[in-house]
Amino acid sequence: MKASKEDEFLATIDRHKKIIYKVVNSYCRNKEDRNDLEQEIIIQLWNSFDKYNPEYKYSTWMYRIALNVAISFYRIEKKWSAKNDFYNEELIFSVSDDNEYDPELDLNIKRLHGFIHDLNELNKALMLLYLEDKSYDEMAEILGITKTNVATKISRLKLRLKQEFQKNTN
Amino acid sequence: MEAIELKKILEAYDNKLDKTLRINLSSMKELKLEKSQNNMKKMLNYRIFEVVTFGFLAMILGGYIANNWGQTHLVISGIIVHIFTLVALIGSIGQVVLLQQIDFSKPIVEIRKKIERVNSHGLLFVKLVFLSAPFWWSYAIVGLDLILGVDLYIHLEPDFVIRYLTVNFLLIVPLVWVLIKLSYKNLHRKWVRVTIGLFTSSKTLKALEALHDIEEFEK
Repeated sequence: MKASKEDEFLATIDRHKKIIYKVVNSYCRNKEDRNDLEQEIIIQLWNSFDKYNPEYKYSTWMYRIALNVAISFYRIEKKWSAKNDFYNEELIFSVSDDNEYDPELDLNIKRLHGFIHDLNELNKALMLLYLEDKSYDEMAEILGITKTNVATKISRLKLRLKQEFQKNTN
Repeated sequence: MEAIELKKILEAYDNKLDKTLRINLSSMKELKLEKSQNNMKKMLNYRIFEVVTFGFLAMILGGYIANNWGQTHLVISGIIVHIFTLVALIGSIGQVVLLQQIDFSKPIVEIRKKIERVNSHGLLFVKLVFLSAPFWWSYAIVGLDLILGVDLYIHLEPDFVIRYLTVNFLLIVPLVWVLIKLSYKNLHRKWVRVTIGLFTSSKTLKALEALHDIEEFEK
């Protein structure tokens, strides 16, 4: 029974690995922090696995947990878990070499990540959800603010992003 | 960068991740999922310890008041100290309740507020210490009587007691005003920030700044 629950959990994580990967990359710059945060998010997801409310989409539930953990982790600068000896050293997620290397795409993605990194923790979450093409309703649900507030903030962020890319292009 | 260009970049990035992102299943299986001992659990243990300590103190003070019933100065002093202990006890119980309500699957803003309220708990104690300033004499009277069995009051000159109580009484209104102002809503005032920074830890100040940011985010 327990093994099948773990297998189900592993399969779920595998299906939604991009969510964890993107959240971790948005909140942590160095490899060691990323490793700790990946593991902390997975542990929290496991702890909440039984409490999953099917009323929400699985990705909404996962985003809430991953972002809540990432923001907590980010604020206390990994002090809460980095020293725990049960963490292993190997990264859970890895990106293999891409044969179709596109320098322009890579540069744009780096700029985008740079922009996201410079935002405060809550705007970072909002930007991430916007980039994931979430609807305003879903963003409001994940963040716990009104849909109007989401729309206003997104338009401000888009303007800042546009200015940032223009500055870099010039 | 127009929205359409941004979407194109992200689509390409997503496609790239679909092809290249791998999960290391052996690392996943080695994770001891049940053993997470995060900061929340440690904090909950601290707060439970506070609740037990203040609960114990409240019981002792209750007994002290009952045992000295009839000696006005000891009863009044005991009641004052008891009230401050009860406020601290209620504050700590509130913290335990808040900590138990923290569920990472709830909306982000709601959880951030709860966590930062827990982190800014130190301000309550600073406020209690300052608010009890006009009543510090009661701590001395109760403390000396409880620990050493010495009744300080009978050694004091009546004139001194009257002057002391008058000055302390006059202090109450300005103190209450200052304490109301010591809030994250007033962090833009230099004296508020300096005072909080001086008497609390940097963690408390950061938590108050975060509460301010959350409020701004909600606007």
